[in-house]
Amino acid sequence: MTKFSKLIAAGSVVAAGLSASVAIAGHGDTLAAVKERGTFNCTGHNGSYLGLAEVDANGNWKGFDIDVCRAVATAIFGTHEGHVSFVPTSWAQRWPALQSGEIDAVIKATGWTIGRDGELGFQFSNAYLLAPTKVLVRKELGATTVADLDGGSVCVPAGTAQEVAMAGYLERIGTTMEFVVSEKTEESEAAYLSGRCDAFVQWDVQLATLRLKAENPDDHMILSDSIAAEPVAAVVRQGDDNWVDIINFTLSTLVAAEEAGVTSANVDEMRANPPSPSVGMMLGVTPGYGSGVGLSDDFGYNIIKTLGNYSEIWERNLGMDSPYKLERGVNALWQNGGVLWPLLIH
Amino acid sequence: MANSATARALPPISPLKTRLRKSFFPTPLSGAISLAGMAFAAWALWHLFQWAAWNAVFIGTAEDCRAASGACWAVIADRWRLMFFGLYPHEEHWRSALGCLILILVIILSCLPVFWRPLRLAVLWVCSLAVFILLMRGGVFGLSYVGEERWGGLTLSIFIFCATALIGMPLSIALALLRRSSLPLVSVVTGMVIDSVRSLPLVTILFAVAVVLPILAPGSSGTKIMRVIAGMALFFAAYQSEILRSGIQSLPVGQDEAAKSLGLGYWHRMTRIILPQAFRRALPPTVSQFAISFKEVSLVIIIGVFDFLASGNAAYGSGEWAFTYVEVYVFMAFVNFIFIFSLSRYGAYLERRMRVGK
Repeated sequence: MTKFSKLIAAGSVVAAGLSASVAIAGHGDTLAAVKERGTFNCTGHNGSYLGLAEVDANGNWKGFDIDVCRAVATAIFGTHEGHVSFVPTSWAQRWPALQSGEIDAVIKATGWTIGRDGELGFQFSNAYLLAPTKVLVRKELGATTVADLDGGSVCVPAGTAQEVAMAGYLERIGTTMEFVVSEKTEESEAAYLSGRCDAFVQWDVQLATLRLKAENPDDHMILSDSIAAEPVAAVVRQGDDNWVDIINFTLSTLVAAEEAGVTSANVDEMRANPPSPSVGMMLGVTPGYGSGVGLSDDFGYNIIKTLGNYSEIWERNLGMDSPYKLERGVNALWQNGGVLWPLLIH
Repeated sequence: MANSATARALPPISPLKTRLRKSFFPTPLSGAISLAGMAFAAWALWHLFQWAAWNAVFIGTAEDCRAASGACWAVIADRWRLMFFGLYPHEEHWRSALGCLILILVIILSCLPVFWRPLRLAVLWVCSLAVFILLMRGGVFGLSYVGEERWGGLTLSIFIFCATALIGMPLSIALALLRRSSLPLVSVVTGMVIDSVRSLPLVTILFAVAVVLPILAPGSSGTKIMRVIAGMALFFAAYQSEILRSGIQSLPVGQDEAAKSLGLGYWHRMTRIILPQAFRRALPPTVSQFAISFKEVSLVIIIGVFDFLASGNAAYGSGEWAFTYVEVYVFMAFVNFIFIFSLSRYGAYLERRMRVGK
């Protein structure tokens, strides 16, 4: 070993040690730090990410991911007003910002991958969205499924997961389509909107938002086929199990409330006369819901009262009460043919 | 007398018609090309006019815009506050607006010859930046506290530019003088620092100060915007110091030697003899360095600083206005143009005033 390579080896060990000591947070440290600071630092965006993290005309954040951030803040503090701070974060900056402690969790349309969980060394919560890859077409084509597009063309960004998934799907159903590839997603979007191809493949939230960029949104429709799916979850630093539990309990509360029919409108009534012991426990009538992870027992009530259940958050930000009019699809409750399930409450 | 004789010998200024014919239609082929060019220009201008003014919607809703074939300036009317002030709390926008006006006013003031004294400039800038930070951050005098993660928009972009120039300019003078030091160690080390900074892309420097620094030294390195300003100032200073050094080295050696023989000390020679002349010679590249720095501020979007560009992105980033990105970018380009064009006109005025190149 030469002197120089020894020096490099020593340097990288020191660097790894430094970053490891920061990356691994102790049990319960994050909650304690958030409580001491008085604000939960969550991810904003550097601009707007339609439907998930947007800025309204008054400079306030809104969107699905933003409401999930607010739900976590409400679980900790009883209210999110003044207790959640959205740190503008670019895509590339998510990981170092989390690692350095600038933010407490990444809740920003982030897919749960083996590489991120394993090699990058982060901890993922349960998925709160299953993002299906779908196909957008012009209505005038008269297509209802991808098979109807046989011989047509599809716009995809080169080398993306969407391109691979679409090629695999077409092979599976025995359909051939011409691929019009571009370097970037924006170029592909523009190519589709200018009519250079018949179809466009993307995650369905982005299809719904792309439709709004078209001259006449009603001319476009999303086909029913699901090409692929990506689990979207919150990300935290490795090693703080309690913090992961808090986020999982928060996400589960949103789904459990929808399942039990608890909404922001009827939550007070439900708390006064719980229809079942599990609803009573979730709303803090009987003890034990939050104390195990360092939260108050009525954190479920606080979340539903201020933000509503999963369905209310969905409809407000992505669904029928939003400009995007996105169907629940796979993100419905398991009873309704979707993939969402709450933790059992007892 | 020779001059006036030449002037008399010049042909009289020909009438406009002849001049036009000479410049546009000297031969049939040139005439045809001129005609084709003019037709194309007229066609393009006509369409631009139709898009930008005739068929445009200036005030209205997104539905009005979708119905019209022209530009949708209504998005600017609806969301200009977001573009100018970013995430700053809505009811406190007057603070951000006032802060922005103070900075612009100070920029204009420091362009006036009356403020061209190092002491006056320093006092003016340090005071106004302190007032700006106090106003924006609040927490005193009954102003509510607004954290830096909520600063944004044009105000933030201008602040970053001003602070970069304010820190970068003195730093660049220091670097230029150190690099010309007669002690070999000082000049070599300074040269290496300058060349290292210049060989890194600005994005790398921004990423290092905003993202890597807090991992290596947690909690010890100030707020993100302050670190970003420090990084940009260093980058600015590295380039500007080389511009100044070229100005210094273009001066005849005799200037410095003459000053020495008069018994002037180092500081007097630098501040009274060398630097004023070097500045004058380096004026054109200095102006373009300022223009480049102003444009480079928009790179901070990459590290999640909510500047003018990010705010513009947020302005069209809503379900309602998603289709108006062209109008928003045109507007942002226009605002940038106003600033940078004023800067270059000011540079031209300075050159006339100082008779650079004469």
